[in-house]
Amino acid sequence: MKATLQVINQMQADGVIGQYAIGGAVGATFYLEPSATLDIDIFVTLHAPPGSVLISLQPVYDYLVRDHHYQQEGEYIVVEGWQVQFLPPGDALGEEAIAQAIPTQVDDVPTRVMTAEHLVALALQLGRGKDFSRILQFIEAGVLDAARLDPILTRFQLLAKWEDFGDKFLRKT
Amino acid sequence: MSDFMRKVLASKRETRKRLAELPFAQKLVLLEKLRDRSLAIAASSLRQQHRLG
Repeated sequence: MKATLQVINQMQADGVIGQYAIGGAVGATFYLEPSATLDIDIFVTLHAPPGSVLISLQPVYDYLVRDHHYQQEGEYIVVEGWQVQFLPPGDALGEEAIAQAIPTQVDDVPTRVMTAEHLVALALQLGRGKDFSRILQFIEAGVLDAARLDPILTRFQLLAKWEDFGDKFLRKT
Repeated sequence: MSDFMRKVLASKRETRKRLAELPFAQKLVLLEKLRDRSLAIAASSLRQQHRLG
């Protein structure tokens, strides 16, 4: 994965992508015990091409697939052995999650990982079974800071979902 | 819950805590091993037979 991150850092240095942050299961691994995953979710800020307001992943595909001959597999690009999914932020929560990600190192390779609270907020927003399971892992591991999580849930209108989640999974009848 | 199960769960919690406290780089190495194992299981002939059957 170190080599994968080096390629992504080079993409950033070459101006193909802006800031990025690791999210999903690999991002969660920063805080939790490792759990099996086949892909890496990289949330990226992209610049709209001149004269357009639409954000496109095409420059990412051009750089990796056309210019550097990495394989495309469906929505993934296999970069140094890892399936990578590049995800432009879908809304303000995604943008904030990238902006406030935590800089860290994988050995000598710099990278950025979303905060635990943003990972939980995004998981709550997605609301699939595996997302709820991950939220429970975060809660059980005791790594969430309520003083950081509450304002995020409030800002992005996720309090009702959080209440529902609590009713379903945390409150004993 | 029996004492035995209580001990098993406590031991699992302890292992998960220990793994969570590893440096990120070490956890990524474990993640790679887990991924390789998942892929090997997915590609195994036994699983293929099960899917076909």
